[in-house]
Amino acid sequence: MENYTYCSTKERFKAEYKIYIAAFIMIIIADSIGQIKLPIGPGQLLLFPIFYALLLGIIQGPHVLKIFNEKEVKAASKLVIIAICPFVAKLGISAGSNLSEVISAGPALLLQEIGNLGTIFLALPFAILLGLKREAVGATHSINRETNLALISNLYGPDSDEMRGSLSIYIVGGMIGTIYFGFLATICAATELFHPYALGMASGVGAGIMMASATSSLVEIYPAQADQILALAGMSETISGITGIYVGLFIAIPLCNKLYNFLEPKIGNLWGKSQKTQLKSEDM
Amino acid sequence: MRYKEHIVLLLIVGLGIITANFVGFKVAFLESLPGTLILLGIAFIAFILSKLLPFKLPIVAYCSILGLLLACPISPVASYVIEATSKINFTAPLTIVGAFAGISIGSEVKTFAKQGWKMVILGLLVMTGTFVGSAFISQIVLKLTHAI
Repeated sequence: MENYTYCSTKERFKAEYKIYIAAFIMIIIADSIGQIKLPIGPGQLLLFPIFYALLLGIIQGPHVLKIFNEKEVKAASKLVIIAICPFVAKLGISAGSNLSEVISAGPALLLQEIGNLGTIFLALPFAILLGLKREAVGATHSINRETNLALISNLYGPDSDEMRGSLSIYIVGGMIGTIYFGFLATICAATELFHPYALGMASGVGAGIMMASATSSLVEIYPAQADQILALAGMSETISGITGIYVGLFIAIPLCNKLYNFLEPKIGNLWGKSQKTQLKSEDM
Repeated sequence: MRYKEHIVLLLIVGLGIITANFVGFKVAFLESLPGTLILLGIAFIAFILSKLLPFKLPIVAYCSILGLLLACPISPVASYVIEATSKINFTAPLTIVGAFAGISIGSEVKTFAKQGWKMVILGLLVMTGTFVGSAFISQIVLKLTHAI
């Protein structure tokens, strides 16, 4: 991971100062707007400053307003991981101050990792029905964040069908995942099937920004349990971060392959053959 | 990356947190300062640990564990840490994350547009399955272990 992109701190500052200034302008705009509530169906869409900042950031990129070039885009992705650290530290502090809740939820915290495999059962059959072949395995084995991409790339190669599927979901997740996770949390809360603690734990899926979005919504819905929700979400995210790669390697990918081999011959042809080639030819 | 460079970047992030906390929640600069410095300090120690320790954990894992240790009941500084960081509204550190994350995916707009509705629906299902599956297991285990 050690790569000296810049010769000195000064050089880095020179190359990235536009990003910093833009970030501050975005913070001022986004936090001035503040939180917005939109009722949608049984849930509600809660909009937080993080969404406006995300959106403002996207439109300044090389494909829309062209304020930032490809080089700055790359630089920003390294800044994301630095910026999220204080937030995760804050969640760690919540966990420390709610230690008894965290400990009593210990077994659930460890086992809920397995729940993340739910994507395979929900999304893989659908992917096969849509006519996807091996892309389906990459696309549905996990939520496809950075670690998962690295794993798929290592196992199947960067030019594999599996990697193409994985990358597609990575990009979709990056663009709409943050806002969708917040919405998902409010919908699940509206069903009243789950305890707020369970939803807090479910938020930690190994994608910091998605977890942040889901917990922001949950805290708004359950203000009385805010601290415990943050504590459990943070711990769940931490555990996902540590165990995610092993769950992926030893459980998710083998399971996904088994289910694929079982389902593909049965339902792979239902949709019609013409659909299949179409997705393959899409270039990444 | 050198330590000095990392400190400068963290200070920029810290300024972003304080700004968000002021604009969004009307918390004064000086009131946000101690809590922000604690969060930055944890982030910096986590960075050092992730460089020095032989086993590779994600840097955020160190942040989380350090935060937990500092605030847990046996920590001598727990009450100060909890008190100071409680001034930082928990969404305040997130705006700058969103800003950087937005810029960082700016060059994926066209690729995203090319994905088509199938991949978008599939992406939504992947996220739904991951979240709901996890909520389901959590709910069952919490009930079985009488944690709720």
